Amino acid sequence: MGRGGVRERVGAALIAVGLTIIGVQSAFAGRANDTLVVAIEGEIPTLDHLYTTARDTIVVSELTDDGLFYIDPDTLTYVPLVAESYVQVDDTTIDVTIRPGVRFHDGSPLTADDVVYTYNWVIDPSTNTNRGRLIAGWLGSVERTGPMTVRFHLKHPYPLAIRDMAFSVQLRKAGAYQGADGKPDPNAESLKLSGVGPYKVIDFQPGKSVTLQRFDDYYAASPKGRPAIKTIIFRTIPDLSTQQAELVSGAVDWMYNVPADVAANIGATGYAVHLTGPTLRVNFIPLDAAGFTGAGNPLTKLDVRRAMIHAINRQDIVKYLVQGDAEVINSACHPLQFGCEQDVRKYPYDPAEARRLLAKAGYPDGFEFELWAYRERQVAEAIAADLAKVGIRAKLRFVTLTTLNQARKKHRVPAFFASWESGSTADTATIAETHWSLKSDRNFSNDAAVARNMEAAAKTIDPEERKRLYSEALRRIADQAYWIPLYTYSQNYLVSKDLAYPVPKDGLPRLFRAHWRPAKASPAKAS
Amino acid sequence: MSEMDLSFKAAAASETGGELLDAAPARPKIWRNILHHPGLMLGLTILGILVVLAVFAPWISPYNPYDQHLPQRLLPPVWVHGGNAANWLGTDHLGRDYLSRLIYGARVSLLIGFGAASIGCLIGVTLGMCAGFFGGIIDRVVSFILTCQLALPGLLLAMALVFLIGPSVGVVILVIGFLHWSYYLVVTRAATQKIRDLEYITAARAIGSSRLQIMVTEILPNLFSEIIVIFSLEVGVAVLAEAALSFLGVGIQPPTSSWGLMIAEGKVSVFLRPWLVILPGIFIFLLVLAANLVGDGLRDLMSNESRR
Amino acid sequence: MLRYASKRVVLAILVALAVSFAAFLLLSVATDPASAIAGEGAEPEVIEHIREQLGLNRPLLVQYGSWLLHVFHGDFGTSYYWHQPVGTLILHHLPVTLTLALSAIFVTLIVAIPLGTIAALYPNSLIDRLSLGIAVSAQAMPSFWLALVLIILFGVMIPIFPISGDAHAWNYVLPAIVLGAHSVPAVMRLTRVGVMDVMASDYIRTARAKGFYGYRLLSRQVMRNALLPVVSVLSVQLGYKLGGSVVTETVFAMNGLGRFALQSIVGGDIPTVQMLVVLFAMTFIGLTLLADLLNAWLDPRIRLA
Repeated sequence: MGRGGVRERVGAALIAVGLTIIGVQSAFAGRANDTLVVAIEGEIPTLDHLYTTARDTIVVSELTDDGLFYIDPDTLTYVPLVAESYVQVDDTTIDVTIRPGVRFHDGSPLTADDVVYTYNWVIDPSTNTNRGRLIAGWLGSVERTGPMTVRFHLKHPYPLAIRDMAFSVQLRKAGAYQGADGKPDPNAESLKLSGVGPYKVIDFQPGKSVTLQRFDDYYAASPKGRPAIKTIIFRTIPDLSTQQAELVSGAVDWMYNVPADVAANIGATGYAVHLTGPTLRVNFIPLDAAGFTGAGNPLTKLDVRRAMIHAINRQDIVKYLVQGDAEVINSACHPLQFGCEQDVRKYPYDPAEARRLLAKAGYPDGFEFELWAYRERQVAEAIAADLAKVGIRAKLRFVTLTTLNQARKKHRVPAFFASWESGSTADTATIAETHWSLKSDRNFSNDAAVARNMEAAAKTIDPEERKRLYSEALRRIADQAYWIPLYTYSQNYLVSKDLAYPVPKDGLPRLFRAHWRPAKASPAKAS
Repeated sequence: MSEMDLSFKAAAASETGGELLDAAPARPKIWRNILHHPGLMLGLTILGILVVLAVFAPWISPYNPYDQHLPQRLLPPVWVHGGNAANWLGTDHLGRDYLSRLIYGARVSLLIGFGAASIGCLIGVTLGMCAGFFGGIIDRVVSFILTCQLALPGLLLAMALVFLIGPSVGVVILVIGFLHWSYYLVVTRAATQKIRDLEYITAARAIGSSRLQIMVTEILPNLFSEIIVIFSLEVGVAVLAEAALSFLGVGIQPPTSSWGLMIAEGKVSVFLRPWLVILPGIFIFLLVLAANLVGDGLRDLMSNESRR
Repeated sequence: MLRYASKRVVLAILVALAVSFAAFLLLSVATDPASAIAGEGAEPEVIEHIREQLGLNRPLLVQYGSWLLHVFHGDFGTSYYWHQPVGTLILHHLPVTLTLALSAIFVTLIVAIPLGTIAALYPNSLIDRLSLGIAVSAQAMPSFWLALVLIILFGVMIPIFPISGDAHAWNYVLPAIVLGAHSVPAVMRLTRVGVMDVMASDYIRTARAKGFYGYRLLSRQVMRNALLPVVSVLSVQLGYKLGGSVVTETVFAMNGLGRFALQSIVGGDIPTVQMLVVLFAMTFIGLTLLADLLNAWLDPRIRLA
């Protein structure tokens, strides 16, 4: 099917006829109403980003929440956001001065008390926030040193303190989690959020939609700037074909995580614009080298693991399935990340070599294992087919992320299709931390040497020393084939032709930077 | 003789039509009438073709259905611009030949259809015979079990169980079979009750045959024609149930080529490549239609027979 | 009548208890709620502590009893995934499914009853055979396939109906057709048989002798007697629709109980799934009880059996 061929035009024409008749749907979206309608696949179960791992909540949280710091999308460095400035007093102490004029959505001003309350809530193990354990791992305590100043006491030198504060701790009002009966209530902010971000929530229907409106008292000095679009509505449309229909009929203005084929086809019809962009996300498959799912299982043998990487035609998968800006990776990190050693052992596509290694390991007829996945179904299937060609029968199990996490904790998962976005941070520490710590259930290697290096690299701020530690660890990881390194993820967006959306370098959608293109040859409308 | 609630009769029968309950058990000498019943012939023909496809799949299908060729993914069928004769019905998202996958899909559907219907048959007929033959407290207990089973939302439970236990062909067959035996039970029970009171049964008891012997040698053969009717209808029900489960993602898993799964996989490009959805659907439709035609046809013949 | 009714009610209650226990049992043993609540990366001690808190170490029967007690007080538990009370969530999704179910039944009725009646009045005619053919075909089609075909036809090719969402009344047209189509054959057959049975009765023979035929034989009495079985089937159908709306709601992206159930299952949200299974079962039991009583009231022969 050629791009822009006769079929496309006929299809486009039919769809055009449809537009005029389904007009009732598009009445609410678009430039005319200054309303940006976003279609997302997953549900938003809660407004409180401190309590959810749901993928799409990050996009919403970027709009409704602010942290002390912020990752500048153009330079990919950390800049103060709610903080005005900070001083690294010594290796384990950071002083932060808070910007004046920051208001919560209910109008009350933000002070040091709110910052202290939020951080204390997060590091308290009984509150069970999503990243509480991570933050409590390095943050000892936080104290108010003045009405607008706060001092952080770290447990050890930690190079990513500012990054964690930017990405993982969204600020809440002091007393936000106080239930009506005086007891702490972690669900207090899930339905009604009071944040400090550039947008406030004016309607929330869990699982269905979130409606945001520009917060007019948002502090002018914010690096995020004043958003151009007044209203943003997130609609959960889990069905991809429905999403497309809505986009084409004008009821939806912005979509992401669109499969490459679909995005290219719709872009070709001319009804929406297909944008691609890089991300810091990498996909890979950890293998149960340590034998958690069964001592002596095939994955515990080095030759078997190496055979598996040789068996998969990663190049073809990237070229034909993933497409866009994706690239094959060989190391356990994103090539753009600081410390991501590229001079490691590589495993080119070689099914014959794979069979030889399998036979050497004692599996001339291959073996069977379960490959769990929660996303990227087509890629997982393609990988399974490649493995099947050398005799390895991968039984695919598609589950939700929550189910996968639970099963992994119980050591029922021998291999899973993993994906890590590193919080859009160009530093290997963000991927190393969670995957190589001996306490992490994502660590299937149980390798003490690697764990030691990763831990040390996260406890010093000397760049040369960090690079050396990462290099050593990553070389060992590639040597031992603890992971099947796959590829970097390319993001596909479909946006309305009326919308100008700057594609982010780190793949994190920041919708406050979107704005309407000026209407052509029609009376100018104020937007 | 306790009467089954009208509503539960209706419930058990409503999916497939309820006249069977009133038909008297007929001796199976109706085969010569088959040729004169167009619906039945059509059904048997279609079923026959699909069975042949399934059994001889390795010889009939042009390619291996699991062979992926990423550079040739999503090719259209030969009659659409861009298609080629190498893949008559095009390829799927991993470059696998669609025609081959459709042919192998017959295996999955028939296996699950017959498998689940058999399990349902085993459970339903056994319970029904016991209830009808022994009556009394056993009958009440079985009726109670039936009522409970009817009350449980079948599809929901099937989804939950398959998902929690782990999706595989075996689990799907078991779960669907365990949730679809009510129709067998109702009909078997009614038929057994009618036969039980006939003279030759009393005679057999007098001679000294054990109850089990009587059930197996006297009653069961007479139920055969009714059971066959229900069986073919239930095959259709099972195939549809599996298709729905696989479509929702809680049934057969890739890379097995189940027709329901193929529809789910094709759904994402339904506007631009509608054949990915339409073709497997046609096959499911044909199989279930055939099963229903056969079932309906047999029932018609039996009703005619019993009116003589 | 009262004796009959009380017998039926007691039976219904027993069934309800048995069903709820079965559902509770099946779903409880299949998963471990404690790790879901504990969250990612929790140590085994934390998980064990939560198990104690939730009382998951008590014998199953005790857990069931406590669960039952909570249900009677209106406490349906809290969803792990949505962080909200299950009861609220169910009430929230109920209207869409109810509307869909009723519309589907409406579709079934306006198609099946006329067709069935005509088929009965003119047996073995072209209409009879044609409607039978349609019935058999409709039953053989997987509902999600029919939904997708309708989406292609009416959403894109001849776009007159919306194909997703549940915001306006128009949104319910296509889903109602899909959901209703599946029951058309059964209801049609029942109508046909019912009408035919009545037609064979004395009353009708007299009318025929007087020269009436065809549609003029239709009267209130005919229809009432013919529709008796249909009424009971319908209440049962309503129960089925509630459970069977999963596929339809998923394909048309409607925010009803069916799709909510699928989300909960795939999300491993056991308390919600338990409540939903029990809720659907109770609805079915309630409706059939109603149908039984209605039938007994309309047809005295039944309650005297």
